[in-house]
Amino acid sequence: MSGSLDCSHVRVAIGGDPHNLGPEIREHLAGCAACSRFLSETLTLDGRVRSALELPLARFRKPAQPPARRFALAASVLLAVLIGGGFWVFRPQSALASEVVDHVRHEGGSWGAHEVLTPAEVAEVLQKAGVNFDTSMPVVYAMACPFRGHRVPHLVVQTATGPMTVMLLAHEKVSARQEFSADGLEGVLLPAGEGAVAVLTRNGKVPDAIAITLVSGVRW
Amino acid sequence: MVGPFARLLEMLRPDLVRFAFWLARDRAVAEDVVQETLIRAWKSREELKDQAAVRPWLFTIVRREHARLYERKRLPTVDMDDASALADPALASEGDAGLDDLRRAIMQLPDEYREPLVLQVLGGLTTTEIAAELNLTQPAVLTRLFRARNRLRVIYGLTPAEDVE
Repeated sequence: MSGSLDCSHVRVAIGGDPHNLGPEIREHLAGCAACSRFLSETLTLDGRVRSALELPLARFRKPAQPPARRFALAASVLLAVLIGGGFWVFRPQSALASEVVDHVRHEGGSWGAHEVLTPAEVAEVLQKAGVNFDTSMPVVYAMACPFRGHRVPHLVVQTATGPMTVMLLAHEKVSARQEFSADGLEGVLLPAGEGAVAVLTRNGKVPDAIAITLVSGVRW
Repeated sequence: MVGPFARLLEMLRPDLVRFAFWLARDRAVAEDVVQETLIRAWKSREELKDQAAVRPWLFTIVRREHARLYERKRLPTVDMDDASALADPALASEGDAGLDDLRRAIMQLPDEYREPLVLQVLGGLTTTEIAAELNLTQPAVLTRLFRARNRLRVIYGLTPAEDVE
C-alpha cells in the first residue's frame, strides 16, 4: 500500500479504466510495485481484448443461415444511393435501363391506379416472384411481370411526390447507381444486395430518401 | 455535406457491425441492427452537431436499435450454453488459439459486463458517456468494467484481483 488509497481500490480503478488514471492513482503506482505490475498486465490484456473484439468481418459475409434474410444494405448501399459524386448519368442508356423503360411504357395504365391494395394482394404478387418487400408506402399496383426470363414484381407506390414505379430485379446486377431518363420518365437503377431495384417517376428525379426506403425494404 | 457523412458511415460501419455482434451474439441480427442504425443515422444526421462525436453517437444508436429489434420482433436471446454459438466461425482467428479463447470468454460475459467493456474498448466511449447511456453512475460503470476485465484475466492466465463491494 502506498499513499491514501489501498491497493484493492487502485486495482478497481485500473480495471475500470486503465488508460485514464487520476493523479491519486498515479501517486499510488509510483510507490507500489505490485499495483504497477497489475497495471502493466491490464494494459497488455486490454490490447488483446481489443484484438479479440475486432472480429474479422470477412467471416460475416458468409451467411449464417441458408434462408434469405434481409440483405446487408448498410453503408455500401447507402453510399451507392447517396453519394452525389458516386453516380453517373449514362448516355446512351444501358440495355437494362432501356428494357425497364420499355416495360413501364407498355404498362402505362399502371400509373393511373389509385386504389390501395391489401397486404395480401401485394404478398401474392411478391410470392409469385419469390421476393420479399416490406414498405410502409401504399401500393396501388402490383403485377408479377415477365422480364428478361423471370417473374419480376412491378409495383406502383404512392409517395409524397406522386406515384413511383418500383421493379424488384432479383436476377439483375448493377455495380453502381445509374440514373436514366426517357419518354418523360426519370429513373434510377440501384444495387441492392444480390439484385437491383429500378425506381421510376414522372415527376422529376427520384428523391434519395425514397430510394433508400425502397431499397432497404427488399429481401431476396 | 451528403458525401462526407456517407463516407463517415462507411468508414465506421465495420466497428458498428462488430459492436452489434457483441451485443446480439448473432451475425445475422448484427447485420440487421446495423442496417437499421445507418438508416436512422442518416435520417437524424442533422442532430449530430459535432462530427468528432460521431463514433459514440453511432454506437448508442446501434445499442438502441438492438434493443428495439428485440422488443419489436421478440427474438430469442442467444443461449451461451449453446455450443454452436460459441463455435461461430466469426469468432475464429487465424491460428491464434489464445485469441479464440478470449473471444469465447467475452461472449460468455454477462451482458452487464460485456456491454460496457465493448463500448469502452471498441467504441471509445468514456466512462461518463457509458454511464449516461446505460443509466448508471460512473462508479457503477467502473466496477462493471473492473469485473469484466477481472474475469478475462483468468482466461489470459493472470491472477484476478480481489473484488470489492
